[in-house]
Amino acid sequence: MDVKGFMETSLVDWDGRIASLVFTPGCNLRCPYCYNHELVYEPGSYDNVPKESIFSFLDEHSDFIDGVVIVGGEPTVHSDLPDFCRALKERGMMVKLDTNGTRFGVLKALINENLVDYVAMDVKAPLEPEKYSRVAGVDMNGNLDGIVRSIELLKASGVDYEFRTTYVPTLMEPEDIEDIARELRGAKRYVLQKYAPLNIRVEELRGVAPPTDEEMDALVERARRYVEDVKWRGK
Amino acid sequence: METRLESKDATDLALFVKVSRGDIVEWDRQRIVESLIHETGLDRETAEKISLEVRDIVEDSGIKKYLTGPLIRELVNTQLIRHGLIDTRTDYTRLGVPIFDVHEMVVQHNKENANVPHGPEATNLSLAESIKKQYALLKVFPSEIAAGHERGDFHLHDLGMIDRPYCSGNSLEYIKKFGLNLPNALSISKPPKHPEVLLLHLIKFSAALQGSFAGAIGWDAVNLFFAPFLKGVDDKRMEQIAQMLVFEFAQQAVARGGQSIFSDLNIYWEIPKHFEGVPAIGPGGEFTGNNYEDYLPEAQRFATALFNVYKGGDGMGRPFFFPKPQLHITERLFKTEGYEEFLNLAAEVSSRMGNTYYVMDRGETAKISECCRLSFKLEEQDFEDAKTPWKMRYSAMQNATLNLPRVAYQANGDDEELFDIISERMKLMAQAHEYKRRFITRLLSMGNQGPLGLLAMTKDGEPYYRLHRATFLFGMVGLNEMVQYHTGEEMHQSREAFKFGLRTIAYMNKESERLGEEMGMRFVLEQTPAESTAYRMAKLDLAHFGDKAASVMKGSIELGEMYYTNSTYLNVRERINPIERVKKEGMFHPMIHAGSLTHIWLGEARPDPASIANFVIKTFKKTLNDQICFSPEFTSCLDCGKTVRGLA
Repeated sequence: MDVKGFMETSLVDWDGRIASLVFTPGCNLRCPYCYNHELVYEPGSYDNVPKESIFSFLDEHSDFIDGVVIVGGEPTVHSDLPDFCRALKERGMMVKLDTNGTRFGVLKALINENLVDYVAMDVKAPLEPEKYSRVAGVDMNGNLDGIVRSIELLKASGVDYEFRTTYVPTLMEPEDIEDIARELRGAKRYVLQKYAPLNIRVEELRGVAPPTDEEMDALVERARRYVEDVKWRGK
Repeated sequence: METRLESKDATDLALFVKVSRGDIVEWDRQRIVESLIHETGLDRETAEKISLEVRDIVEDSGIKKYLTGPLIRELVNTQLIRHGLIDTRTDYTRLGVPIFDVHEMVVQHNKENANVPHGPEATNLSLAESIKKQYALLKVFPSEIAAGHERGDFHLHDLGMIDRPYCSGNSLEYIKKFGLNLPNALSISKPPKHPEVLLLHLIKFSAALQGSFAGAIGWDAVNLFFAPFLKGVDDKRMEQIAQMLVFEFAQQAVARGGQSIFSDLNIYWEIPKHFEGVPAIGPGGEFTGNNYEDYLPEAQRFATALFNVYKGGDGMGRPFFFPKPQLHITERLFKTEGYEEFLNLAAEVSSRMGNTYYVMDRGETAKISECCRLSFKLEEQDFEDAKTPWKMRYSAMQNATLNLPRVAYQANGDDEELFDIISERMKLMAQAHEYKRRFITRLLSMGNQGPLGLLAMTKDGEPYYRLHRATFLFGMVGLNEMVQYHTGEEMHQSREAFKFGLRTIAYMNKESERLGEEMGMRFVLEQTPAESTAYRMAKLDLAHFGDKAASVMKGSIELGEMYYTNSTYLNVRERINPIERVKKEGMFHPMIHAGSLTHIWLGEARPDPASIANFVIKTFKKTLNDQICFSPEFTSCLDCGKTVRGLA
C-alpha cells in the first residue's frame, strides 16, 4: 500500500485524540464533491511518502500522538492495509479508518483482528441504489450489499465508530438526511459534514454555496429523531 | 561685534513676546539671562553674552511685532551650541512635537493601523507620551544608556510612561478588605457587601491602576476570591455577574487614551495549595469564619460562568481581547472533581474563540500571570503572604529588551565576542533598571500627595507598591535570527543551531542572576511581547548593518514589513508541527522565569474541545512548556462588524 500524504499532527480528524493522518491513493467511488480527488484520479502525480519516515515521526512523538487516521481515496481497496495497520499497532498507535464501507470483507477482517480502534464510515445517501449511484458517482448496479452489511457489522461489532454524511445542497435534500438517519436507527453516532466548495473537481458543484450553520442545526434536529448522538462538523 | 552690542544695550528692542505661561510681555533680555542661570546653572557672564547675541539675531531678523518664548529658546540653544556648551543646551531643551506632527495626529485618522486608537483622549496620550519619552532619555537615563536605546542595541519599554512602573499583579482581597479609597476621588467606598459592588470596585480600581502602571493589570484567583460573595447566588444571577465582569473590563476602552485595560483574570478550578486554610473575607470586609476551601463550589460555578461568557463572545459573537482568562493547570487540577468537564469548556473556548491561556504550574510552583507572557513564580515569602492574600501584590518595574541579531552582526561569527557583547549590553540594561528604580523610588517617596499616590497608600501598613518585591525584566528579540547569522542555520533547521539558542538563553539567564546579585535587584528574563520592538530593531539594523541584517530578516523588506522573530520563538512562518513547537520552545521556558508562551495556530480548523484538552494535558505532563494558547484566525470587518473564521 502506497502512502501519498502524511500530516504529522491533527486535532480535527479524531474527536478527543491527537492524531497523524495517512493518505492512501485510489478509490472505488467517484463522489463529485470529493475534496481529495487528485488521490482518486491522478495518484501517480504524488510521490510516495516513505513509511520509515512516518514510523520514525510516530516513534519520536508517541508521547503526544494517540493514533493514526487512515484516509483516502479509499484505504480498503488496498489488500495490504491490514499489514500497515498491524505495523501501527505494534508501535502502540491506535488506528482510525475512514472508509466508504463498500468493502465489507476487508472491514470485517480488520475488526476481527483488532486492527482498528475507530471506524468513520460514510453513508453517502439514502440506501436506494439509484440515489446512491448519483451521489457516489458510480453505478452501484442495484446492489448496496457491502454498505448495508458494513453498517450492521459496525453496529454489532463493539468497535467504536461513527456514520457520516456530507451534506451537499443540490445533490441532496434535507429529507435524504432524515431517510439515512432512519436507516441508521440504533446507531451509536451520526455526524453530518458541512459541504465546503474547496478543491472540487466537478464544475457544477463549485458554485454551490455551503449550507449555513442554521441549516446544519436543522438537519441535526431531523436526524436526532432516529439517532441519539448526532452533530455536525465543518467550518 | 562687542562695540555694536555695547552701543545697543541701552535701548532694548521694542518687541513683544508670547510666553508659554500664557501672556504677552515686553521684550526683556534679562529674562534670557535669568532663565539660563536658573535652568542650567550657567555663569552670569556667559549668560549675558548669549542673551546679547540672541538680541542681535532678533533685531537683524526683521521681526516687527511678536516673538514667542519657544522661538527665543531655539535661538538661545543655537548660540549655546556655537559656544560648545552642549550639556547646557541639553538642560535648556524645550520638549515638544513639531506642529506638522501634531496636526497629523489630531486631524488625520490613520485607518491602516487598527491598534492606534484615535480619539482626543488617544492623541492626548500620544502627545504626553512623546514628551515624557524625550524627558526620560534626556533626564532619567544618562546619555550612554539613552544612546543604547536610540541606536537600537536594546529597547527600554514604555519610556513615554517613565513615571510609572511597568506592570502589576494584584489581589481582590485588598478591595474586599479595605474598600475603595482612590487619590483624587471625592468619595470613599467602604468594603463591598454585594458581588455586583465588588465587581464595580474591581473595574474602577483596575482603571485607577492603569493610571499608575504602564502595562498589564493582573488579578489573582479571581473566581476563588469572589466566591464568598456568591453563596446562595442562583445560576441566572451568577451568569449575569460573570457577563458584567467580562463586558465591563472589555469595554473599558473608553479609559486612558482609548486603550483597553490590559487585564488578566487568573482562574483556578481547584483550591491552590497556598490558599488552603486561609480565612475567607466576605461581605463588608469581615472574615466569614470559613476558609477558602469551603467556597470551592461557588468558585467553580463562577469559573464555569466566566468561560461560558467567553464562549459566547461579545454582542456580535466576537472574541473578547481583554480581560484574558488564565487557567492554571496544576497537579491538583487533575485531582479535583469535575475537571474533565471544566477543561473541555475552557478548550471549547479555545476552539471557538481562542481566549484561554493555559498556565502550567508544575510540581510545587505557583504563578501569577499578569500579561500575555509575564508571570511570577511565587517564592517562600509569597507563600507566607498567601495567608494574608491582600499582601500578594507584585510588579515588574521596567522591561528592557536586547536586540540579539545585532549582537551576532557585531561578533562576526566569534562565540567569545558574541557572549562578551551580550554581557556588555545587559550591564547597560541593568544600569537602566537601576536608574528607573531610583526615579520611581523618588516619586513614591513623595507619599500619597505625590504623583504615584495610589501606589503609596498604606492601608495594610506598607505601601501598595511593594518596592522590595519589584522585579526588572530582560527581554530578547530575534534569538532565531541571531543564531541564523551566527551559525548559518535557523533554530528549527538543525540540532546544533537549536542548541546554540539554548546556550545563549542559559547565558543570559546566568548573567541576569549575576547582575542581580551584584546590584541587589531582582532580574529575570522574560519573553517580551514585542511585535513593534521586533519591527523597530529590524528597521534600524537594516539601516545600519545592511546586507548582514537583510540576510536573516523575516518579512518583506520591499514592502517595509520586515521583522525579527519574537523572543526565543522558532520561525513563526515555518510550518513546524505543533508538538515539536511546544516541546522545543518549551525547552527555553525553564530559563525564562518571568514567563513564556507558545502559540498554537489553529487556522480555520475548529478542533473538537476534547482534542484540545488532550493536547493541554500532554503539554503539562510531557513537556517543560510554561504556557500555551490556541489561536484561531479571525477576520473582522470594521464596517459591518461581522467576524468570520479564517483570514479574508
